[in-house]
Amino acid sequence: MSEKTNRFLPYMRQDRLPHIFCPGCGNGAVMNAFLEAMEKAEMDFDNIAMVSGIGCSSRIPGYINCDSLHTTHGRALTFATGLKIANKDLDVVVFSGDGDAASIGGNHLIHAARRNLNITMICINNNIYGMTGGQVSPTSPKGIVATTAPYGNYDTPFKLAELVAGAGASYSARWTTVEMENLVLSIKTALKNPGFSFVEVVTLCPTYFGRKNNLKTPTAMAAVMKANTVFKSAAERMSEKELKDKIVVGEFANKQRDELSEVLEKFSIENSGGKTAVNSAYETEF
Amino acid sequence: MIIINEDLCKGCHLCLFMCYKNVYAISSEINKKGVQLPFVKFEERCTKCGTCEVACPDQAITVDLPDNWWMDKDNDINFNPHFAKGRK
Ligand SMILES: Cc1ncc(C[n+]2csc(CCOP(=O)(O)OP(=O)(O)O)c2C)c(N)n1
Ligand code: SF4
Ligand code: SF4
Ligand code: SF4
Ligand SMILES: [Mg+2]
Repeated sequence: MSEKTNRFLPYMRQDRLPHIFCPGCGNGAVMNAFLEAMEKAEMDFDNIAMVSGIGCSSRIPGYINCDSLHTTHGRALTFATGLKIANKDLDVVVFSGDGDAASIGGNHLIHAARRNLNITMICINNNIYGMTGGQVSPTSPKGIVATTAPYGNYDTPFKLAELVAGAGASYSARWTTVEMENLVLSIKTALKNPGFSFVEVVTLCPTYFGRKNNLKTPTAMAAVMKANTVFKSAAERMSEKELKDKIVVGEFANKQRDELSEVLEKFSIENSGGKTAVNSAYETEF
Repeated sequence: MIIINEDLCKGCHLCLFMCYKNVYAISSEINKKGVQLPFVKFEERCTKCGTCEVACPDQAITVDLPDNWWMDKDNDINFNPHFAKGRK
């Protein structure tokens, strides 16, 4: 085949395209960024298993031509934990939305970070529940209008990358879809990092977030997002007031420590002389 | 060369926003899908940085494919040494 095609299409299930994401939705761009990072990290595409929960962002694994698990809402990390412990050699990647990861799956998120299992999680934070029609999520900024906050949101949002770093993840970062280069390099680092790696990608949901908050076009949203982005090093020198409505980007954790699947394997070799994880349906005894 | 796939483009115009060289412009016509397609207006400005390819959410943009490292000499798109090393 010599016809020119987009460089990401060979990795995708092309019969399902165009995908269901709305025009300008950030999910498609995050998918590209992941594929580019995977190429840059020289990963084996056939060894990747993708796990996702429910949401617009969680549909990404369905468009990528690799093994994937589309699980229940908020539980992607639990399925991923089982998968990784059963087959330690798989490269497990979790795609999750902000609602999926931080509200219904909030506990799974902090405990996965605490246990430091070697998986990569990409959390697509569009600050809203996209799939169900624009309800507030735990990351919705103060003051935004949403279906369940018609007079504005009064809650203080979670800062996911900081939360996960605080919970003990060995890699945690936040980027936006308007700075692709940093995002790609960060996903590359996350893929290579042996431990729980979390990349929060702040992105656009023009259909629900934009429409309800007077940002009528994807480009208007992207312009606002770009103007509100501050690097972590600059943010450290800014006051609380100046940081209002700003998106702080950068790496919040990058420090290796004991990884769960290694620890488990070591423990079982020491105590029972072999691996305890059985990764075959036909083998029932250790 | 820059190619925009008309079947995949949904007309979000993020390519116009993301290209730092302002290579793209919006056409005045609307196609049968109701999309105002972008088109390449100033190709000579393009530095082949590839940002628009990654930023296009609909995988609609192709920039000079043969320059990509994973294309072999025959421009075989299926050739990628890291695509399949066999299952572990
Ligand atoms: C157990 C359960 N509760 C609620 C829902 C309804 N539901 C589906 S998607 C979703 C929110 C998704 O939001 P998010 O994770 O932010 O993804 P997005 O669509 O924004 O990408 C909810 C509440 C569900 N499918 N299952
Ligand atoms: S509703 Fe929002 S998150 Fe879902 S596909 Fe549309 S733009 Fe994307
Ligand atoms: S970014 Fe892609 S989908 Fe959006 S207008 Fe440009 S070519 Fe079309
Ligand atoms: S490759 Fe870079 S310079 Fe060329 S059109 Fe795309 S974004 Fe613009
Ligand atoms: Mg969301």
